[in-house]
Amino acid sequence: MKFINTRTFVAVGILSAGAYLLMMLNFPLPPFPNFLLVDFSDIPALFAALLYGPLAGVLVELLKNVLNYVLVGSATGVPIGQIANFTAGVAFILPVSFIYRKAASRKGMLLGLAAGTATMVLIMSVLNYYVFLPAYTLFLGAPAMSAPETKALVISAILPFNAAKGVLMAVVFMLLFLRLRPWLQKQAAARRAA
Amino acid sequence: MSNHLIIGQYVPGQSIIHRLDPRAKLLIVFAYVLIVFLANNAATYALLSVFAFLFAALSRIPFSYIMRGLRPVIWVVLFTFVLHVWMTKEGDVLYRIGALTIYEEGVRQGIFISLRFLLLVLMTTMLTLTTTPIEVTDGVESLLGPLKKMRVPVHELALMMAISLRFIPTLMEETEKIMKAQAARGVDFSGGRFSERMKAIVSLLVPLFISSFKRADELATAMEARGYRGGEGRTKFRQLAWKRTDTVFFAAVVLLAILLCLLRS
Repeated sequence: MKFINTRTFVAVGILSAGAYLLMMLNFPLPPFPNFLLVDFSDIPALFAALLYGPLAGVLVELLKNVLNYVLVGSATGVPIGQIANFTAGVAFILPVSFIYRKAASRKGMLLGLAAGTATMVLIMSVLNYYVFLPAYTLFLGAPAMSAPETKALVISAILPFNAAKGVLMAVVFMLLFLRLRPWLQKQAAARRAA
Repeated sequence: MSNHLIIGQYVPGQSIIHRLDPRAKLLIVFAYVLIVFLANNAATYALLSVFAFLFAALSRIPFSYIMRGLRPVIWVVLFTFVLHVWMTKEGDVLYRIGALTIYEEGVRQGIFISLRFLLLVLMTTMLTLTTTPIEVTDGVESLLGPLKKMRVPVHELALMMAISLRFIPTLMEETEKIMKAQAARGVDFSGGRFSERMKAIVSLLVPLFISSFKRADELATAMEARGYRGGEGRTKFRQLAWKRTDTVFFAAVVLLAILLCLLRS
């Protein structure tokens, strides 16, 4: 069996280009520290996951971050930020695509987006505590933060930030989804017929 | 800004570093990033620095370009340095300024860690300064070739990456066009309340997605019509050629690694 068909990977390539561009239009959310940035680059990945299956969504997340690393680079030389963005994106889109597959309705989508936000918040809080924040201190050569300090940063900034980011993306995606739904259904029907 | 989004940090040139095989450059930079962590005394750090600065000098890239890439990092480096000087309390006392005491070990650690960081960033930016993104893609595809035996779809991944790189400028142009078209219809992208701004973003994303899907369909149809059937037996427009200079540079890194192992304390 072929890993992925031509039509799918061409779409993944183009959506990744879109995601990369959207990633460059990032902005900080006012109350949070400015290394936490919001962008809408997970939206093309979510479309890919819904139209072509979860693997396509994961690939868009992967390519977008590889492009970002190759074209923009990382302040630490090692792509920690990109790896964090990739995990956050995957944690957000996978639940949505699984739940929407089971319940393809407006309600299913809302439920999926809520589940995606919750998963992203949970996974990013845990991983920041154990992996990403320690990795930053290691590569920046800063003295390691103590466990309570890291915990305080995770609870006061990272957790609410990801929750806010998830809600924002859910709102924008829902607005998009309502407008694009007839078109998406037509596409899905055409794909089944082909 | 727009140029930066398309070609990244690449600075065109004909230097010996520019002309190295992308595979050689990838291997050199990757090896360098690993062996930087071997250094732990003055001699080893000096060797690493000499190598990195020679590499940068051979690329003939104006110093100002390299500095531009390093500018965001300089502050982090300075901060790290100050932090180490302040926090380490070992070795002889060098200075005593009021409540602040500076120890010899602190200065030593500060210099070493900042230098390590600077060298890491310098070498990784040298790769992107002298290699186009598409060359990087070809190089990675070729280096990961052996993974195909483990059924990793290396060819497809590289092709997806190449398609993305090809479409970044196209989609950017499209985005600008849509923004202008929507602005002509009264959408305000630059200001307004939060909810207004979200609506403005949706009015940009809907046409952008529809046109992206259309382009994807057209490209896939065109590829299938021309008989594209995966990586098996595909010939290439851009051929990679490993030359003697590539071997020389690669050998230099291996030599550097051996010297580091011998000189580290």
